[in-house]
Amino acid sequence: MRLPSRRVPTVAGALVVAALALAPWGLSPFLVQFLINLFMLAALAESWNIIGGFTGYASFGNVAFFGIGAYTTAVLLTAAAWPFALALPAGGLLAMAFAGLIGMPILRLKGHYFAIATLGVAETMREIVYNLKITGGGTGLTMPITRSPLPFFYLMLAILVAATLVNWWLSASRFGYGLIAIREDEDAAMAMGINTALYKTAAFALSGAFAGLVGGVFAYWITFIDPEGVFRVIVTIQMIIMAVFGGMGTVVGPLLGALVLASVSELLSTQLVSLAELFNGLIVILVVLFMPKGLAEVISKREFSLKKLARNLREYGV
Amino acid sequence: MLALQVLINGILLGGLYGLMALGMSLIWGVMNIVNIAHGALIMLGAYVTFWLFTLWGWDPFVSLPATIALLFVYGYCLQRFLLNLIVRAQLFLTLLITFGVEVVMVNLVRIFWSSDLRQVTPTYAGANFAVGAITIPYVRLWVFVTTAILSVLFLLVLEKTRLGRAIRATSEELRAARLTGIPVAHIYAVTFGLGAALAGAAGGLWGMLFPITPIMGGALTLKSFVVAVLGGLGTMMGAIVGGLVLGLAESFTATYLGPTYPNAISFGLLVLILILRPTGIVGRRA
Repeated sequence: MRLPSRRVPTVAGALVVAALALAPWGLSPFLVQFLINLFMLAALAESWNIIGGFTGYASFGNVAFFGIGAYTTAVLLTAAAWPFALALPAGGLLAMAFAGLIGMPILRLKGHYFAIATLGVAETMREIVYNLKITGGGTGLTMPITRSPLPFFYLMLAILVAATLVNWWLSASRFGYGLIAIREDEDAAMAMGINTALYKTAAFALSGAFAGLVGGVFAYWITFIDPEGVFRVIVTIQMIIMAVFGGMGTVVGPLLGALVLASVSELLSTQLVSLAELFNGLIVILVVLFMPKGLAEVISKREFSLKKLARNLREYGV
Repeated sequence: MLALQVLINGILLGGLYGLMALGMSLIWGVMNIVNIAHGALIMLGAYVTFWLFTLWGWDPFVSLPATIALLFVYGYCLQRFLLNLIVRAQLFLTLLITFGVEVVMVNLVRIFWSSDLRQVTPTYAGANFAVGAITIPYVRLWVFVTTAILSVLFLLVLEKTRLGRAIRATSEELRAARLTGIPVAHIYAVTFGLGAALAGAAGGLWGMLFPITPIMGGALTLKSFVVAVLGGLGTMMGAIVGGLVLGLAESFTATYLGPTYPNAISFGLLVLILILRPTGIVGRRA
């Protein structure tokens, strides 16, 4: 098998990043905010992709890591008066450590059990944050306002680039192949000498670290956080939709998914929040029905036909 | 004396959890779908009862058959025309599609009926009676009795009728069931309908005890799942036993540790049971 050339994606990627880095000078403040949101969603999708796409462990609770990052950063900024440059990495590290620790027991679960256990982690986290004093409980935390959106723009972009590079590295490295082997057949992977427990936990922690970093930037950008606004199930749903919509376990898939979802949500959310969420739900249903392998697959194979669709439905239906 | 009161509270609540989990366990056992929308079905049942009560003054216990029938039809159609299309796909996809159904249902309810807290309050809502030092609200007692009746009825249908045999046969071996002439697509839809009906009944009863909102379902899906796993997956008795265990656990911890961490308790129980006894309390080793 010939490995695909890496030169084309490298050059294309560098050009896109360079164009985006210059974007704030040419765009309206509204579009800059839109881009920050887009970077955030895309980075979350790439972060979910590490555990859900590559490793095949469908986490339904990654918002817990996002929330830990957001709250750690916020608490350190306000109560401990740390500089943001220290508070943000601390949030990422804590989210990573938490993901690693909680991952050790729950990554032993498979399929549905793992999915619901992660859902439970997120719900429990929300409850804990709601009841702690240091997090401001139900009232939330307010951070000092920063005038310029530029720091957030570049931070989100940097995290997105890092997350994408990690996914790219996973797609062609020993570690990444190990994760894919676990996804395809965990027992066989173990028999081949892969330390599956270590690999899975590392993937989960890596996923948690990026979600935590995004959460930290989000908290300072939005300047006010409360448990209901941070630990929203919809955030996890969005991560999953973007990854599945674009193509799980691919590098560009989550980016495509984020672009589509962010654009559509932006158009709809001017109307009504519920309407945007409703639309998210409909996308999930349609994607599962019509392109379970994602947009990236549809584009790269150039085979999206009604005949194939009918075959899929015959294969999966009763 | 307090301990006895707490014990009774736990059992009365546990019956309702058992009823919720029965539907979840049935759908999971027969079709291998973990229905994330289960909580949303409970929510819909609660709203149906609420509207029948508010608009036409139907007593929530009297309107229960109507709620059950409506939810059965809804569940039947959901499975027949949507979930049946992908019921044999990977676990992740079936899980994801019910997730999508949940989001759609919750937000439709939000758009049409708003996010306000609502409650079903018949005239006898506050009444209770005392046995010695123990107080028992009438509503809680009748809710418990109703859940017991419904659970027994359901188990009889599953064990003693032709339909129940067809459901169990389909659950055991899809292809063989089809070869013996069982209309599998129809049986799947009926199974989901029954699960939805049980969820709807639980929702109708829930609305008499607690406030209802469009987003009440998330935590209830988690609880139904925990209870189904606690008791032993696919065993119907397990769901009932698991319900009582969760009810008691919540009741005791709320009294002695404080009521602030109900979800953490469900979740802690889940992790504990998965580690200690993966087949559940009643379940057998596969």
